[in-house]
Amino acid sequence: MNRPSPRTVRRLIGLAVLVLWEAVPRLGILPELFVPPLTKTLVVLWSDRLIYLSGLMVTLYEVAFAMLIACGAGIALGAVVGGVAVVRNLMLPVVSSLYAIPIVILYPIFTAWFGIGSESKIAFAGVYGFFPVMLSTAAGIRTIDEQYLLAARSMGATLPQLIARVIIPAAIPTVLAGLRLGGALTIIGVVVSEMLTSASGIGYLVTINRTILDSPRVFAAIIVVLLLSIMFDVAVRAIERRTLAWQNAGRRVASTEDVRAARLPAPATA
Amino acid sequence: MQQVAQLKPNPGPARANAVEVIGVSHVYHGREGAVPALTDIDMTVPAGRFTVIVGPSGCGKTSLLMMLAGLRTPTSGTILCDGRPIPSPDPQRVGVVFQEASLYPWLTAVENVEFPLALKGGPRGERRARAEAMLKLVGLDSFGGRYPHELSGGMKQRVSIARGLVQDPPVLLMDEPFAALDEQTRMTMGHELLRIWDETNKTVVFITHSLTEAVYLADEVLVMSARPGRILDRVAIDLPRPRTYQMMATDKFGQLRERIWQQIRAKE
Repeated sequence: MNRPSPRTVRRLIGLAVLVLWEAVPRLGILPELFVPPLTKTLVVLWSDRLIYLSGLMVTLYEVAFAMLIACGAGIALGAVVGGVAVVRNLMLPVVSSLYAIPIVILYPIFTAWFGIGSESKIAFAGVYGFFPVMLSTAAGIRTIDEQYLLAARSMGATLPQLIARVIIPAAIPTVLAGLRLGGALTIIGVVVSEMLTSASGIGYLVTINRTILDSPRVFAAIIVVLLLSIMFDVAVRAIERRTLAWQNAGRRVASTEDVRAARLPAPATA
Repeated sequence: MQQVAQLKPNPGPARANAVEVIGVSHVYHGREGAVPALTDIDMTVPAGRFTVIVGPSGCGKTSLLMMLAGLRTPTSGTILCDGRPIPSPDPQRVGVVFQEASLYPWLTAVENVEFPLALKGGPRGERRARAEAMLKLVGLDSFGGRYPHELSGGMKQRVSIARGLVQDPPVLLMDEPFAALDEQTRMTMGHELLRIWDETNKTVVFITHSLTEAVYLADEVLVMSARPGRILDRVAIDLPRPRTYQMMATDKFGQLRERIWQQIRAKE
């Protein structure tokens, strides 16, 4: 018998989750306060669409600026830490330890400094997303194969050429992995800080509706955050596909071979 | 004691010796202080000749090659490439092929070959045409669009050789270029290299661990001692050219190989 492809299985699982989301509360297995039915949530989302849309705009605005800070500062400082041994030895242990701290405990300080408006969210989420971007940029630059640099020098590359044509392209895969993680953390940072102290944004809508036990509206806000994260993921994937075409070229070859190799013994085990 | 190649008056005076190393010593400053890596190396490679350097691991062969490439400065002594000192890398005088092909994985084969030309600038079309001509020379004209990981080990080294030759330097330096290849590919690549050498008239300095490879390829084999590296012997390989695989089975080949082996073994 033919096995369904992983993609088909993924879609079936997704469908099953949606069906359960509708069926479980309707059948009274869980109270609607815990999980409101999917249709009820969607209806609320639609009827309050202007509220959610304006909340989303605030959140998007904060996420955009926070990502700018996280990525800009993360890449710039990561490049210095990764490229200059003295700075690396001085800073990397400190930064790595800081990364382990739950930075959310600093959020009250951010509100004291920047108020409860968007500024404190941007600052907090920017710092939150900064660490993985910086650490992976540093790692990406530090782990460049010495041979690449030696070969470029033997071909007469100047330092700017070395940076533009060897160091940056060689570091891109690792840096992108950091941007992906940092970007996701930035979204988390914004939503969490909105939930803690604020008067607008999607996170605020979650909190405010939870306090009045309006579960459909809480879940509607959660759906919006989910969509935001999915959009981000799709965007990052598109960037990765474009910039890492050379890796994909190989992966395609490798994966079809892997699949073939993996499929061959299947009849024996089935 | 040192036999400097005696050349008749040459029409191109500056080109008589492509590579000259005069009294070169190198001291490496490591964690345990100064370590002498090379002592008093003298070496002359006439233009168009194929010289192979053999010696035990860590004897400073690679250091010597790095100096010939202008990637490292000797502590004392003089190095002339194409008649002039080489204080920094100059791909128009010296091309280098490394052990691991060190191709850039984000560039296709033809873009890798074009890389040195791209650093220098110039019309894009001309650059590409030149790179494609080099790929054709090494027998990879239909593989220009492939990325390095889509090529076999031997093909990668071919691309690497094409890259070393793309600026048409008179001297090609090769640091154990075939060491990572399997035996059959290694033999084929050696043979291919001789063909390319013959077609392009380059001066080659080639480092290897394989004595068979050394005798098969070289006009002259320089035998180096363990650290600090000195030149123990210069063995002229007077096997006729073009070389054939059959020669490896001859007594002459065996004797030359044995002579080099005795030199290396005696000093271990």
